[in-house]
Amino acid sequence: MILSAKHLKKTYIDSDQKIEVLTDACLDVASGDMICITGKSGSGKSTMLHIMGLLDAPDSGELIIGGNKIQAQSPKAPMIRNRDLGFVFQFHYLVEDLTATENVALPLMIAGQSETKARARAQELLCILGLSERLRRYPNQLSGGEQQRVSLARALANSPKLVLADEPTGNLDPTHSKEVWDLILSLNKGEFKQTFVIVTHDVEAAQAADQIFELVNGILIPA
Amino acid sequence: MDKLELFFIKRYLKTPKRNLFRFSFVFMVLGIVLSVGILSAGLNLFQGYESNLKSLLLDSFAHIGIQSSYGDLISEQDSATIINQLSRKAEIISAIPSLEYPLLAQKGDKIRAINLRAYDFSLEFPYQKYINEGAIKLQSGEVIVGHYLAEELGLGLGDDIELNYPRFDRITPLGLQTAQNRYKIAALYRSGYYESDRSLVISTLDDARALMLLPQGYSKIELRLKDADKAGFFAREYSEDLGQNFIALPWNLYAESLLRLVAMEKWLIFIVFSFLVLIAGINVISAVSTIIIDKRSEIAVLKTLGASPRTIKRLFALRVGVVAILSVLIGQVFGVLLSWFVEKQSFYRLKGDVYFIDTLGAKITFPNLLIVFLVASFLIFLCVLFPLRQIQKMQIIEVIRHKH
Repeated sequence: MILSAKHLKKTYIDSDQKIEVLTDACLDVASGDMICITGKSGSGKSTMLHIMGLLDAPDSGELIIGGNKIQAQSPKAPMIRNRDLGFVFQFHYLVEDLTATENVALPLMIAGQSETKARARAQELLCILGLSERLRRYPNQLSGGEQQRVSLARALANSPKLVLADEPTGNLDPTHSKEVWDLILSLNKGEFKQTFVIVTHDVEAAQAADQIFELVNGILIPA
Repeated sequence: MDKLELFFIKRYLKTPKRNLFRFSFVFMVLGIVLSVGILSAGLNLFQGYESNLKSLLLDSFAHIGIQSSYGDLISEQDSATIINQLSRKAEIISAIPSLEYPLLAQKGDKIRAINLRAYDFSLEFPYQKYINEGAIKLQSGEVIVGHYLAEELGLGLGDDIELNYPRFDRITPLGLQTAQNRYKIAALYRSGYYESDRSLVISTLDDARALMLLPQGYSKIELRLKDADKAGFFAREYSEDLGQNFIALPWNLYAESLLRLVAMEKWLIFIVFSFLVLIAGINVISAVSTIIIDKRSEIAVLKTLGASPRTIKRLFALRVGVVAILSVLIGQVFGVLLSWFVEKQSFYRLKGDVYFIDTLGAKITFPNLLIVFLVASFLIFLCVLFPLRQIQKMQIIEVIRHKH
């Protein structure tokens, strides 16, 4: 088991009002899985993903990654995010002043790899994702679909055990959206066998996943 | 510096236009350049003033004066022995006997207290370089007069000046009899050291002796050293060597307090002007805060990718630091230009009666450049660090949520 989320509970307080977004959310992710989490807007899908990615802490519950219990505040959390997890968000979050190659090389250099090796690996990934012509382009010189593909390449840079994607096609038009979904599927089903947990409100696209969960009243229910 | 930091610094320097020349940096850069420029110029000018004053003091007076311990004249025989004894010493450039007495100079109803120095013009004359008008070698009946003294008495080259030597031991039935004589002004003396230029009169030894009814002999032997800063040390040594009848007095005895005062003023000005850099630091705080707000997504993504807050802080510190250091260096160049301009301008001159010298000069020294660079960089570094604390507090999740 790559990741196991047990009985996660998360409550927000907004204008003195308690909002329980996660009440008892549980999820097990095994190697090679392709899991989609759907749900209504504001149902807590992104919160679930952020907690799984050690970006946010639950009020209670446990998160086990690679067999070890871990918390977002743990000093080891940045290292686990760098080594074991990859992230793709609805907005690409690429560094505007770096080229596509340099953006993809970032997690590798954070992990301590030399610039030369990091660049070589980044270029390899970008070529696999069909961006060989865009290596030296800055984010603002790329289309929305290309930006998300660079973001996906960056998520894969350190060969993470799990890629967490939060509405990865939420900002894209249908054509680019299909392009990205096809790419994710090929990475999961092809030689990479990359494990994904994807949060999406696109129920139709989610059908391509092996497992689909719907977040209802703070609990993940198999759909 | 880890690999990521090294990568970013290379990136900033490789494409400065994209990474460093940002609008939010404009006022920061201007503030640093102006404040460091003023700080540098202030220090350069004060250093120049201090150096000029010291150089003029050392050129206008003997570095060591050997006098009789009892206030009498030094006989010609003793003088020759002393000069002979000292001339073997490698540290001495020249040993010149002279007479020096306070007198009164008069022209009509204008009277000024003056300092008469008399030399043997067949030997070396130590103030040759300050004679800007007239003859260097004096004949009997001729004097060299300080530029401002001549101006105050309304005299010029070729005019006569009357010197009076009042002696209280020469009382006649008609009252106090002063020794007086008229001399022709053969040259004007202008060193730039105001006190000398307004009080010095130089004559031949014979004229001085005749005026003051003095026997053969000298009031002092003027020594000039290769290194005037060691005058105190050598004066002690010579006093011991020459025995109890003579005493060697270094220039420091009369002028060091003045130079110390000037040096203290220089550092006070430096401290005051350093506050300008601190004020410019407010722009730095503002620029760093702006860039942190501007780059919130970048910070969040770096944290998400596993970079530690310490690394991210260092990346931002490097980015602003490179611009700030360049600004400090540009400020120092500006300071040099500003000092050069102040030195070359002709619409403002120092008042010699207030500031001892009448010309503004700048002196650029490596230690001062280094001190300005280090102090300015340190102050700006503190101003960079202060807002960077926000990065530590920044929550990734807040940034990501707000972007949605």
